[in-house]
Amino acid sequence: MIGLMRAESLKIRSTRTTLGLLAGMTALVVLVVVLTGVFAKSSDLIGTSNQLSLLSYGSFAIVFAGLAGVLLVTSEYRYGTIRPTLLFNPSRARVLIAKLVASFLAGIIFSVVAEGAGLIAGLLILTARGLPLTLSGGDIGLLIGGTIAGTALWAALGVGLGSLIRNQVGALIVLLSWIFVVEPLVFAFVPSVGRWFPGQAVNALTGLASAHLLAPAAAAAVLVLWASSLAVAGNALMARTDVS
Amino acid sequence: MAAIVVVESLTKRFGRVVAVDDLSFSLEAGTITGFLGPNGAGKTTTLRMLLGLARPTHGRALVFGKPYARLRRPPLLVGAVLEATGFHPGRSGRDHLRMLGRSIGIPDARADEVLRLVELDGAAKRLVKGYSLGMRQRLGLASALLGDPELLVLDEPTNGLDPEGVRWLRDFLRATAQGGKTVLISSHGLAEVAQTVNRVLIINHGRLVVESTLEELTSSPDGSVCTRSTQPQRLLHALRAERLEVTEASDGALAVQGATPERIGAIACAAGIPLSELVGQASSLEGAFLRLTSEVAS
Repeated sequence: MIGLMRAESLKIRSTRTTLGLLAGMTALVVLVVVLTGVFAKSSDLIGTSNQLSLLSYGSFAIVFAGLAGVLLVTSEYRYGTIRPTLLFNPSRARVLIAKLVASFLAGIIFSVVAEGAGLIAGLLILTARGLPLTLSGGDIGLLIGGTIAGTALWAALGVGLGSLIRNQVGALIVLLSWIFVVEPLVFAFVPSVGRWFPGQAVNALTGLASAHLLAPAAAAAVLVLWASSLAVAGNALMARTDVS
Repeated sequence: MAAIVVVESLTKRFGRVVAVDDLSFSLEAGTITGFLGPNGAGKTTTLRMLLGLARPTHGRALVFGKPYARLRRPPLLVGAVLEATGFHPGRSGRDHLRMLGRSIGIPDARADEVLRLVELDGAAKRLVKGYSLGMRQRLGLASALLGDPELLVLDEPTNGLDPEGVRWLRDFLRATAQGGKTVLISSHGLAEVAQTVNRVLIINHGRLVVESTLEELTSSPDGSVCTRSTQPQRLLHALRAERLEVTEASDGALAVQGATPERIGAIACAAGIPLSELVGQASSLEGAFLRLTSEVAS
């Protein structure tokens, strides 16, 4: 099982796709933090809530880690590497578990890079503008911990989604439209439902203040439930589907 | 000798289509078997079931006495190449092998070893998207050899190979079999593998048509003549008019029984039909294959 996880980890690292996702993510996070930090009025950068949202753009990592997770499964079907993978390891459940773990660990790296970049850029801008940091150590701790946990779980969630929708383009469309269309719309109009969704759970995990969000611990449980439900369903589907 | 592969009443249905129909055969250690049949005969589906990638509708396929999925670290016993497409284009050949090897605890050094074995060491660090089809075939073969298996299963390994590549593969497989290993090669044509195999299994429409040694097949008093024409339908009618038994392959070749090449040539000449190929009993292997795998034209 350790060997299988190492193999999946090498799969993530051995193509340039992952590097591209990391680079794109870091560029996006820094860009958004800098634009916000430079153009926002000083009054909009003072206070716990404002500063928290400036420093929380690292949670964009969930999109990129989710994409990486989806690709870890769907690339195998797109390029046919699923055949050698299963010839070497006929247990599809074990392959899926190894992918979940490898993707979870990759998600940690994604979040550390993104949140690190966002935090450094944001703190530099606050310092440069001479604005005092009003967040407590606890706020920042929750922000970092929540981003890491949320991103790692999203990376696993991506694996589950990819194992359910093995068509790469289809899975990517579902993932992106979920994050950017479905969740924001549902959360805006029916927050009592939207707050149970995995993206809003990450917002809750990072300590973003909103009356509608779940408590961080409940959000973590909800996210674990989403990731594991998709994985269980994907496993059931993979177990009874022939590989062509 | 011990049977390394046992296939019993293997059946696969896709909806109403029966791809593999009650197929039974076994392979003994040390043999090189050609698994032959026209495209769509069910060869690949059979191999997929043998290798645990697809589930049989009925029957079972055992390798080393167990279903493939129950083997512990199967690549140490069975090496398989299904298609030359199972690679990520953005990954190097070496990383492809290292990633497969690591999954079952084969050291990275073995990946470099098999790359040398298939003469791909010069391209090991290049991305697969820059590989030719022949190089991909070799990379597939390298992955099958990673675990130094007893049984090699190759699906259409000569597809996309140039003549030199075909010769290289033939020599390689012969050397492999001399080392006491067992090989199963599928192919849509007998010619591709006739110089490599010593046994043949011929299937058509998912059913076993012939199981024999190569000698039995070539020495059978078949006497068919293989011929082709740019006007196959006219030729078919002309030969039938002479009360000859003619079978027609999907690619337009005709296998004719009970007539010498001279007589067929004369019939075609009299009818004014141009022949593009006329091969007599010396090559009756191809004729036998055609006759066994083509529809009996009624």
